[in-house]
Amino acid sequence: MMERIPQYLFWILIFPGFVFTVLIGLVASWVVRKVSALVQWRVGPRLYQPFVDILKLLGKETLVPRGSQKALFFAAPLIAMTAVLLLSTMLWRIAFDRIDFIGDIIVAIYLMVLPSLALILGSSASASPHAAVGTSREMKLVLAYELPLALALVVIVIKNGGQLNLAQIAQNNVVFSISGLLAFLVALLCVQAKLGFVPFDIAEAETELAGGVLIEYSGALLAIWKLAQAMMLVALPLFLVLAFLGGFTVLWAGIAKYVLILVLLILIKNTNPRMRIDQAMKFFWVYCGFALILAVVLAGLGNYYGIGWL
Amino acid sequence: MSWKIWALKKSPWVFHVNTGACNNCDIEIVALLTPKFDVERFGIKLVGSPRHADALLVTGGVTAQAAPRLREVYRQMPKPCVVFCIGACACDKGIFANSYHMVGPVDKIIREIDPNAIIAYVPGCPPKPEAIISGVVKALSAL
Amino acid sequence: MNQKELKKRLTELEDKLIGIEEPRENCIYLNCESQNSFAVNKFLFEELRLRFVIATGIDAEDCFEVIYHYANDRAGSMVNLKAFIRNRKKPAIDSIATFLPAAEWIEREIHDILGIDFNNHPDMRRLILADDWPEGVYPLRKDMDSKIAQGWTCKTSIRPSKKSPARRTIPMKKPILAVGPFHPLQEEMEFFQLATDGEIVTDIDMRISYNHRGIEKISESLQFDQVPFLVSRICGICSASHPLAYVQAVEELAGIEPPVRALYVRTIINELERIHSHVLWFGLAGHFIGYDTVFMWAWKYRETVLDLLEEITGNRNNYGNVTVGGCREDIPDELKPRIIKDINFVEKKTNMLIKAVDDDPILHARLKGVGVLSYEDAVKFAVTGPTARASGIDIDVRRDESYAAYDQLDWDVITRPEGDVFAKVVVRLLEVVESCKIIKQAVQKIPDGPVAMKVKQIPPGEAIGRVEAPRGETFHYVRSDGGNRPVRHKVRAPSYVNVPSFKASCIGEHIADVTITLAAVDPCYSCTERLAVVDGENKVMHDYESLLRMSREKMDRISKDLGVEKLKLEDL
Repeated sequence: MMERIPQYLFWILIFPGFVFTVLIGLVASWVVRKVSALVQWRVGPRLYQPFVDILKLLGKETLVPRGSQKALFFAAPLIAMTAVLLLSTMLWRIAFDRIDFIGDIIVAIYLMVLPSLALILGSSASASPHAAVGTSREMKLVLAYELPLALALVVIVIKNGGQLNLAQIAQNNVVFSISGLLAFLVALLCVQAKLGFVPFDIAEAETELAGGVLIEYSGALLAIWKLAQAMMLVALPLFLVLAFLGGFTVLWAGIAKYVLILVLLILIKNTNPRMRIDQAMKFFWVYCGFALILAVVLAGLGNYYGIGWL
Repeated sequence: MSWKIWALKKSPWVFHVNTGACNNCDIEIVALLTPKFDVERFGIKLVGSPRHADALLVTGGVTAQAAPRLREVYRQMPKPCVVFCIGACACDKGIFANSYHMVGPVDKIIREIDPNAIIAYVPGCPPKPEAIISGVVKALSAL
Repeated sequence: MNQKELKKRLTELEDKLIGIEEPRENCIYLNCESQNSFAVNKFLFEELRLRFVIATGIDAEDCFEVIYHYANDRAGSMVNLKAFIRNRKKPAIDSIATFLPAAEWIEREIHDILGIDFNNHPDMRRLILADDWPEGVYPLRKDMDSKIAQGWTCKTSIRPSKKSPARRTIPMKKPILAVGPFHPLQEEMEFFQLATDGEIVTDIDMRISYNHRGIEKISESLQFDQVPFLVSRICGICSASHPLAYVQAVEELAGIEPPVRALYVRTIINELERIHSHVLWFGLAGHFIGYDTVFMWAWKYRETVLDLLEEITGNRNNYGNVTVGGCREDIPDELKPRIIKDINFVEKKTNMLIKAVDDDPILHARLKGVGVLSYEDAVKFAVTGPTARASGIDIDVRRDESYAAYDQLDWDVITRPEGDVFAKVVVRLLEVVESCKIIKQAVQKIPDGPVAMKVKQIPPGEAIGRVEAPRGETFHYVRSDGGNRPVRHKVRAPSYVNVPSFKASCIGEHIADVTITLAAVDPCYSCTERLAVVDGENKVMHDYESLLRMSREKMDRISKDLGVEKLKLEDL
């Protein structure tokens, strides 16, 4: 066991963990900004912009607001970052080497919730009314999208005959069936909400809440948040690729799938106005919930009668 | 030049404060973000909280009611940061110099709480967006 | 009601008045003593259904005057009630805000600047003067002149203190959410306190003054021909409307008619301004609801209009083109084809935007039925411009009391009955199309000739100029004593009456809807606060810590009162 520790450390810290994910994540966040700019007839930022932003934030003073819960205020971004780091390392290992264990899809779900919880903790620790409103919205949003996301994964599990092993699930291309497609679309929207992109950027709505949950963060702590968000931009689409689109069987195909999901997210982001929190909850619970119940039934029937396309 | 300053110059996030301007400078600042001028090319981004900002764009000659708030916003900014006085009013109160309600200009108010603040001036009524870009670039390259 | 009927009804007031003057057609001045003003105002507003425009407070050396301006929109005329307050030591008059909410702000303002007390006013807090402006100093009283001339200004404390006479207010048992004074929602400063119950707004309070620059006072120190350059800096977006309203007042005072070509030039510039203002607003509205693509596209089209304005006047904003007796710059004939071409482009793109708004189900869901200002509330708050027209009130100064060349062109006034944010979007976009129509006609019809004439002397007297700015009616009142400076210059910008209507449209809304509701009025605080100063002590607005502390203290107090353990924010 002991002799493997250096290798685990290498996985987590260098490849495919921290350094690799951060690199990809920052490039992906550049793609998001650049494509948004092109849609808006602008030139947009240069490739190294996200890197410089992080570097600059690291060089700035970190202000801690008076009246805040200091320990929690510092811990929250670290919790978020650690969770995403674990998640992305795990997913990359599954994608590249099929290193897996039974039930890892459930671990993935938990790791995906952690950053949102950390955000809630951090912003409520920062003692600001705007952050407080942002917090309450983020909480409602988490409640709204976690249920459909879990249901979407239930569809996946049914389609794979009760398989809880992500590497096994990644062998199948579930999206080429009615229930799989429905589940994929809903999961895509849940990821949109998890990433805090329009139309679900309700918690960070800068015009309503002056930056919302992150309003009191500055300097290095803000840089950690930004890094965690950039890494989410890698981990969450990667999860979708593994769960729905058949994983990284061939490297270039896997990359193409990842880019496809990124482009879909950006397009949704740029063609929609922000939803109101009650509208978003209704959307996730009523419409997505209904679609998913249908998908679960279809998947069950398809499984029972052996009809693949249902 | 230290890496901190280098990164700051490549990625200045700005927070905009109106301390009693007529809106002209303000809409020109917003126009900077739009397709014709698009300052995101230079990494300039308008942010919603002074805690995230590296540069403070101030417009207006500072009314008595706005002065305490201007000081408070400056205090909330993490250092190092730069203050830009955009427009004639922010530079020297402009046409409102004789007003009973103007306590500015901006540099006077900022220096009261931080004598070493870095302050740059972009005159004009309103300065054209090109002038604002040029002012920001000049001030940053002088750092 | 036409002018004849109006005059007949006014005779009913005879026993309460001390005189009726009609210096010009369509402008009636009624004089009364201060004790009768309440009854006369009630009669004008409730019986004659006139629209309250604004009140002007004047220090007339031997007494104070409060002039209540009413508009009779059907006839395009003004009725002005002059109330004389003879007691200079303790000036007081009955408040009319009790039945006319639209007068609430202006009475507070007159109290700030002249020290006139309004009996029975519901909420006599400071409005336009800063929190640390000293008590008992009234900037528009004539005895302040010498002090200001000696360089007297208000001093502000470096550490703001906690007690403020301007301070609220909302009896708050609910958490407060502060919007402003520096908030990405608005380019300018103002401060809203929203009392919220969960995500629902239960009360709203506004604090302005951040933008008060004392323009009315500066105006008294400038010569008649210098004032347009000052008033064009009241607001950068209305920088053609304010000078035009002022110039029209002075021209009426001097009894001169500017050359016809100048009237057409004024029309074209004002309509270009309307287009750029409405498109600007449309883009910002998109930004407020997280539709950044719309924001970028709208502002891209707006640049076309700004380029035209720069070509004509030499500046993107602050044109300074209107002077007493005409215009400073002519529109050269070789520019005409380009104006037509660019306006056609803008019209095409606006029609595209209208179609996009109409086709977008999410926009319908997000904006319909949101922030409704009913017809009755709109009348009570005396709102103007697109805000009024979206609530079904059919008023437009361009048609009602036609100025410049509008009566020679063919165009329509757009109204919508719904009063919600969606109606305001639609009204503004359709108005852009109408403006394009007006400009194209004006460019074709513009006659040859000079654009300016010589003006010699401004005689003593008083006059009113009104202009339909992009946000509504801009009102300027000028009084001259025959010298070369105005002795009183009162400005009322449209936002001054539109902004208080938030009280009617915001309460009961969702927080997420409040921002777009506030924005829907297209508030312009620079305009609203041309005049005020400051007092007392203050509070730090954008300082969330102090805000939170305040709200926590309040929670503590309340929980103590109720004997209940308070809920901590951290527990959430």
